[in-house]
Amino acid sequence: MSEPFEPKIVAFVCTYCTYAGADLAGTSRLKYPPNIRMVRLPCTGRISPMFILKALQKGADGVLVSGCHPGDCHFTHGNYHARRRWTVFRALLNFTGIPLERIRFSWISAAEGVKFAELISSLTEDIRKLGPFDQYKAMIHETETPVSL
Amino acid sequence: MSIQEQYRKRAAELLASGEVKIIIGYGAGSTPDRRRALFIRSADDASLLHVDAACDANLSGYLVSEGLLSDRKKVGIFLRPEGIRSVNILAAESQLDPLQIVIIGFNVENGSLAALQGSGVNDFSSLISTLKESRSTPEEQALIEKIEGMTPEERFAFWQAEFSKCIKCYACRQVCPMCYCKRCIVDNNQPQWVHTSSHTLGNFEWNLVRAFHLSGRCVECGGCDRACPVNIPLRLINRRMAQEVLDAFDHFSGMSHTQEPVLASFKKDDPETFIL
Repeated sequence: MSEPFEPKIVAFVCTYCTYAGADLAGTSRLKYPPNIRMVRLPCTGRISPMFILKALQKGADGVLVSGCHPGDCHFTHGNYHARRRWTVFRALLNFTGIPLERIRFSWISAAEGVKFAELISSLTEDIRKLGPFDQYKAMIHETETPVSL
Repeated sequence: MSIQEQYRKRAAELLASGEVKIIIGYGAGSTPDRRRALFIRSADDASLLHVDAACDANLSGYLVSEGLLSDRKKVGIFLRPEGIRSVNILAAESQLDPLQIVIIGFNVENGSLAALQGSGVNDFSSLISTLKESRSTPEEQALIEKIEGMTPEERFAFWQAEFSKCIKCYACRQVCPMCYCKRCIVDNNQPQWVHTSSHTLGNFEWNLVRAFHLSGRCVECGGCDRACPVNIPLRLINRRMAQEVLDAFDHFSGMSHTQEPVLASFKKDDPETFIL
């Protein structure tokens, strides 16, 4: 019998807000699914679209990108730059057929431990329903199979 | 005097008077219906220039050739409106000084040559404004809408099939005036962001990165489309991204040489409907 599908979700978060929010969720003993792998970065402005592609390349079923609310950035405007970049990159992903349900963006402050726990729960459920990202995994599989001439 | 003769005369005058040190234009190509870049430094060579509807390449990429502008002397260049927009972007991104560029503008309307007046980037700003208002080629728009009407799975399959043809020759990068990085992200191997093998995964990533880096910068000259040896509809994806920055940020690339690059600037009230 095969094991039930457990989605792999990579979260790119900024250290000042969402990471602290996740920390608050932990210290508040809030429960959220363990499917998330957090990558802590200095700022959402540091999150290159390449990170999202890399996560997919390494077999992620979903990606979350999260940082400070507008106006709260530790570096004053890193998240404004990030927001523009995401708008454009998200449109590109949509146009090339990567389902937007798998790539999500949020603002979570250091005080929003509850929001963090709820978001991770709902995100995990959504991606569990979607199932593994088979189309992308087929491409990954192609790179791993030996070439037959 | 034909339009071509007028242009040859103007080029000869620019060189003879010493206003420009070199003219970048079009010369005869390998077949009668093709043109290739021609670089002339003497007024005598102006007769080698061709100006006609077959001049489709965007020559502005040659302006960022290493050392060309470093002596502060002026350079003359034949440009279509897209090329003039490219020069604006290169200037806005601090790659060149627009005062060093003498633009010899021309346009091709419905397959025939039309002369453009002016020589500095600012002389063409009203022309570029009208381009912003009238941007649409119905035939491509229909295909974009067809793709957008598909389910994500179908779209993915469509692009997977297209990108699987890619041989990673990077002709699209080589021909693009906006791809001037000394070291491209795909040439980096530490970290290696993009798979360099010819598998579809790496092709997919490369084409996504290329399209993203051209978002809000592409002027739709169609160079990549013409250069692609396996006919991937690169222009389609660039066009969709241009539409996105226009809709979301009212940004039309290459409006002026002082226009802020769209992904290096922001407004506090930029749309953010998708952020939870």
